[in-house]
Amino acid sequence: MTPALLLPGALAALAALILPIIIHIARRSEQHPTDFAALRWLSERPRPRSRLRLDEWPLLVLRLLLLALLALFLAQPILSGANGRQNYVAVVPGADLRQARLSAEERGRAHWLAPGFPLMRDGAVAAFQPIGSLMRELDAQLPPEAMLTIVTPSIVQGADGDRPHLSRPVRWTIVPGAMAERPAAVAPPASIAVRYDDAHAGEVRYIRAALTALLPPDRRKLIDVAPVGASLPGPPARLIWLSGGSLPPRVSTYVQDGGTALVAVDALVPEAGNTIFTLWRDQSSAPLVTEQAFGKGRLLRFTKALRPAAMPTLLEADFPDRLKSLLDPPAVLPARATARDYAPLPGGSRMHVARHLDLQPWLALAIALLFLAERWLATRRTRAVAP
Amino acid sequence: MIDLIPPDVRSRLKGLRIVTRRAVGSHGLGLHRSHSRGAGLEFAQYRAYEPGDELRQIDWKLYARSDKFFVREAERESPVAIWVLMDASASMMQADMGRPDWRRFDAAKGLTACIAELALQQGDRMGWMALNDAGLRLLPPGSGLRQRDRLLIDMMALEVGGGFILTDQLAPLWERIGAQDLVILLSDCFDEGAVGLAVKLASAGREMLVIEMLTADERDFPFDGGHRFRDPETGRELLGDGAALRSDFLRRFGEARAAVHARFDAVGVRHVDYVIDQPMDLPLRRLFTAQDAAEYS
Repeated sequence: MTPALLLPGALAALAALILPIIIHIARRSEQHPTDFAALRWLSERPRPRSRLRLDEWPLLVLRLLLLALLALFLAQPILSGANGRQNYVAVVPGADLRQARLSAEERGRAHWLAPGFPLMRDGAVAAFQPIGSLMRELDAQLPPEAMLTIVTPSIVQGADGDRPHLSRPVRWTIVPGAMAERPAAVAPPASIAVRYDDAHAGEVRYIRAALTALLPPDRRKLIDVAPVGASLPGPPARLIWLSGGSLPPRVSTYVQDGGTALVAVDALVPEAGNTIFTLWRDQSSAPLVTEQAFGKGRLLRFTKALRPAAMPTLLEADFPDRLKSLLDPPAVLPARATARDYAPLPGGSRMHVARHLDLQPWLALAIALLFLAERWLATRRTRAVAP
Repeated sequence: MIDLIPPDVRSRLKGLRIVTRRAVGSHGLGLHRSHSRGAGLEFAQYRAYEPGDELRQIDWKLYARSDKFFVREAERESPVAIWVLMDASASMMQADMGRPDWRRFDAAKGLTACIAELALQQGDRMGWMALNDAGLRLLPPGSGLRQRDRLLIDMMALEVGGGFILTDQLAPLWERIGAQDLVILLSDCFDEGAVGLAVKLASAGREMLVIEMLTADERDFPFDGGHRFRDPETGRELLGDGAALRSDFLRRFGEARAAVHARFDAVGVRHVDYVIDQPMDLPLRRLFTAQDAAEYS
């Protein structure tokens, strides 16, 4: 619970505190004209009063407070480190908390390992969570001195490429159970259009054969093989462009709009300055297909002519699957692991991203209330003078 | 008609009587004989003729109607006239800081109305003068309801301002006020003129009463902070801090009052202080009950 200011320079606005003080002093030196018939018995030389006097000090205090709060409001106060050094219990969805050896008090304030880290007693969360990145996020949010206990089922999903390195030692409690798998993204298989010119008419049959092997029999009529003059489909559909020379503008536009095109070896790919990397190599590690980003889409290119002499793999049995994975990269990466092997490792960088409480709305409320009180005090009927 | 007397004061006035020291016993018995029938202007009653009555007192018209002799009696005028001298200089316009609509002059008008009411109750004649340097406003002595109403009208029309009346403007005063008359001066007595006039009237044998009208500000001096004090008569101004001036003012003011009181006492002027936030009948009560009740009981 450390109060802090995000914009301490705004405290210069505290200089405005001088204004109400000036107002309340300046009026004091005013002389109220008073009729007084017994003037002749007043002293001729009244002793001047040098002591500083302030009118209506409750109103002055209220105004000073109002200005100070305004300055504080501008300085954007926050309250950081709201958790302290208590043990933070996070539960991976799918774990049975009753089997973990935890005190009732720790169970009461256990959080889900889910975005926002909601309290468990507030209700369930989605069964699948990317737990690797969530563990890193939680580690960064907690204050450095806080302990962390993670209750996890024995099989976890949502692991990513690296075992998480956390900045603090973690009590990694494994209970029987399994996480739900990532829900499969159900996307309809994209249709594939093939365009070819006369020079490549001989190569089309390998492609056609591969596509026919890929699609179930009732969808084979979706295979769209036509000469280059035919119209192009929209971006969800894949395009295989078997034609030499530079790409016509409609193909470039199609790729830049987010399409995926696989072009022949003799097609002239525009030099967009993007990194070209190899997607597929043959057994002698010679590249077969390269890829580069182009606009919003992907531009793939064969590096060899589609002839068995130049590219023996055309005749292999896995060519259709290779072609499909080139055009439709798998959407889901494997993320299943046993919890024992996915225990977080120490040695993560201690990067504390403070979770803080923004005090500005409360300050705004206090300022509004103070302002009302000040107006009420300043417009009372019974006021004598009016600073 | 505006009633200048608050209801509570009016109810307390019932038990009061204006008494004079000089007129006692001059016309019959009692404090002084206010109601005495005889020759005069104001009709009092008819009574049956008795041998010895003057023939000219018989009402012959009534005799013609009733075939009996009736004597018409009139009320004789009271031998005592009560004069109220009201200071109408600008200092009478001063009000309290706490009650700006109640001026010294308003209190004086109320007191005058009270005295008129008492005079009406006991049948005495009552006259009124307002004094400032614009001259002397005068209502000749009279009695009855009409006199009271005339007094009210004159007081309403009175304009207050300027300084106290000058000595050479006082001739009508000396002509009118008789030797037996009771004179009540309502003034703040800050002016030498007012004090001098009271002393002179007392020295000349009139029974002189002075009600010194003070404001609560002069008694308490509650001013705090900077004030520009202004004398309404001379226009002099003085800048000063209220709290710093207070003790000195109260001392000097008290000394000045004591000096004036000593002069009054020396010539037998009865005087009473009246601060205008007090009830209006208080000065009359002090003047006419306490010592006089003891004196004339």
